Amino acid sequence: MRSRGHEVQVLTTWSHVPQETKTPDWIRRRLDLHWYVPHTPNQTLEARDLHSAVCSSYANTLHLLDALLDFRPDVVSAWNLTGIGGLAMMDLLNHLDVPWTLYLGDRVPVDIAANVPADVRGIFNARGGEVYEKARIFSVSQNLLDEIETESSISFPQGADIVAGWADLSQSLPHQPYLQNGKARFVAASSVAPHKGTDLIIEASAQLQESGVDFSVDIFGEGDLPRYVDMAKRLRLEERVRFLGSLPYMDLLRAYSAYDAFLCPTWERDPFPFAPLGAAGCYTPPILTRNCGTSERLVDGVHCIKIERTAEDLARAMAEVATGQVNLAKMGRAGRRLVEGDLSFERHLDKMERAFEECARSWEMPEDPKLPLLLFLKHNLSVRLRFG
Amino acid sequence: MKSGEKLRIAHLSPAYFSPDSYVGGGERYVDYLTQSLQTVAGFEQAIFAIGPDDQLFLRNGIPVRVLKNESSHPGMTNALSTRLWRELDGFDLVHIHQCLTLFGAFSTSIVRSLKIPAIGTDLGGGEDPQMLRGRGIELLDGLISISKYAHNLVGSHFKGPHEILIGPVDTDRFVPASREPSANVGQILCVSRILPHKGIDRVIAALPPSLNLTIVGRPYHQPYYELLVKMAEGKNVRFVLEADDDALLDIYNNSAVFVQASTARDIYGNNIAKPELMGLTTLEAMSCGLPVIVSDAGSLPELVTDARFGQVFSSHDDLVAIFEKVAAGAWPASDAGELARSHVISHHGLSAIGARLAAFYRRTIVSRKN
Repeated sequence: MRSRGHEVQVLTTWSHVPQETKTPDWIRRRLDLHWYVPHTPNQTLEARDLHSAVCSSYANTLHLLDALLDFRPDVVSAWNLTGIGGLAMMDLLNHLDVPWTLYLGDRVPVDIAANVPADVRGIFNARGGEVYEKARIFSVSQNLLDEIETESSISFPQGADIVAGWADLSQSLPHQPYLQNGKARFVAASSVAPHKGTDLIIEASAQLQESGVDFSVDIFGEGDLPRYVDMAKRLRLEERVRFLGSLPYMDLLRAYSAYDAFLCPTWERDPFPFAPLGAAGCYTPPILTRNCGTSERLVDGVHCIKIERTAEDLARAMAEVATGQVNLAKMGRAGRRLVEGDLSFERHLDKMERAFEECARSWEMPEDPKLPLLLFLKHNLSVRLRFG
Repeated sequence: MKSGEKLRIAHLSPAYFSPDSYVGGGERYVDYLTQSLQTVAGFEQAIFAIGPDDQLFLRNGIPVRVLKNESSHPGMTNALSTRLWRELDGFDLVHIHQCLTLFGAFSTSIVRSLKIPAIGTDLGGGEDPQMLRGRGIELLDGLISISKYAHNLVGSHFKGPHEILIGPVDTDRFVPASREPSANVGQILCVSRILPHKGIDRVIAALPPSLNLTIVGRPYHQPYYELLVKMAEGKNVRFVLEADDDALLDIYNNSAVFVQASTARDIYGNNIAKPELMGLTTLEAMSCGLPVIVSDAGSLPELVTDARFGQVFSSHDDLVAIFEKVAAGAWPASDAGELARSHVISHHGLSAIGARLAAFYRRTIVSRKN
């Protein structure tokens, strides 16, 4: 957006991983991230941390107020509000009548409804879906909107734009020949965890090995590596399955050129896994769960191979690839065309820019010196109602 | 509100005056206050209260909207409804009764979010830390206190516009009987919930043999009631534990002097916060033409501005001395009842309070617009 001539300020948290990065002055890393403690499972979180993450963090709400006062944006674009006390922040945007958009990359409304008691939500006019009524809603997939309505009964009467994810192919490489030396090379990139289908990948690999097919699987990403290294060893897959850690996004895209297919047996409710899109854009056809969010954008047999989320169906698809039953080059080219066109970052930006322009309008910051006091009362009330 | 239209006032209260909800002074106060505003043209009112189920009914011509309690916290003053977000749409001003409670804090946050001018009144239901030390009270546009004493309790927390309205009392309902006051000589009346901080023990202890005492009220503290019964043995004391409004009026009209003896330290040694923000029964008695004796607790001395119709006591000896004057016919004089009623009509009657209330509401609305 900046490169297109817009003034942009980003209000966000410090990175959730300890990286030394120099932050440009238009990015304000002032927000606390209340629930991300590296290497700590979410179950151990204290209830108060969860409250701060999902409902209200007074400090973060004040940072938003300061940013609004200072920058006076034409439109506020809210992303991924879970973790920073997003409910109180949305309430502030409504109170100030700021034009705002909410990009749903995951089920924030469900997180709020499930983790904040109804009377507490009422402080922020969010007993039902009222808090979202003034927002322009974007969702990465219809699948996500359906899930939000099913799980929280929250729908968006004002409508929601489906703005899918994207891939930036600017540094991708030409693909190498498929099935070199008769060997199928599979790749996966995600959190190494059950919900992303790591178990299924290993189980399917064991089945494939039984059939005598020559193949390898490289798994990029971090997670519960000891568990899966042990699992691969137990199934005698040490020579087939490798765990390669994480790679920067652009390096990962370049790496895809050496693989024949991308494995993504993610859970059905995955709103929009980006990784298979990147792989498709790099001529590496994804094998992915039939009803995850990204599946809405890819056509089975044209851009990808869709599977039921079982080890057996994944093994079947891997076998079809490995035995040459799939025209990988043709499918790779189709994937590339799709991602270069509809699902490119530039096209995504076009949609977002157009929506921001439609949404933007003038608004006046009220001269209300007691606004921080109102936010203070609401925050403290939320804590008191929740914890007594 | 457009020019020429009525101002729409919403009263918020955690309960409403009814055996179905709560029969307390705070709820009666809201009832009276809305009636007082009805004496002034240009206002439309609604009462919003919280209850176990939704209800809508009219009371004295004013709609009472009962919203289902959504609070996860038990207790009448912790009741709340998130539906206020929708229900308050279109009101020009919201008067939050029991503002120093969780109910009050919750309601204040919503009303302020809706950008509707808000006035608060403490009716003794709590001392909410978020409203006081947390400064939530400053989000109100104005404060109405039911006595100077009540105002002093919150004055250090709120520096904005305030009004002190003692009352109102329905002086058309609480009227003297046509019979001669002399018929009631020696009849002392005490009307109060039977609770230790009401100091009824002090009245019994000071009562001379020549005077009769009638105590009207429900026992809310059984050991204390039993203590009073024991203290009353051998004295001319009768208890009326159940009396509806008509019966109470009849009792007022068959009495000569009214006593309210609330105390800041009860007979068990407990210190009482806010012992009496406003003695409504004292005003009702005066409206019925009764001279009154009040203790120096809380706001009570504010009610009796003229010794001819009101006496204040601080100690047992003071009360004994006053009772001796009553027994001897040295006080009150024959015109004391008339003076008491006249004072109540001009200062605490529905019309008097209604006019001042209306003026304060209007000032608050104009001030917010500016």
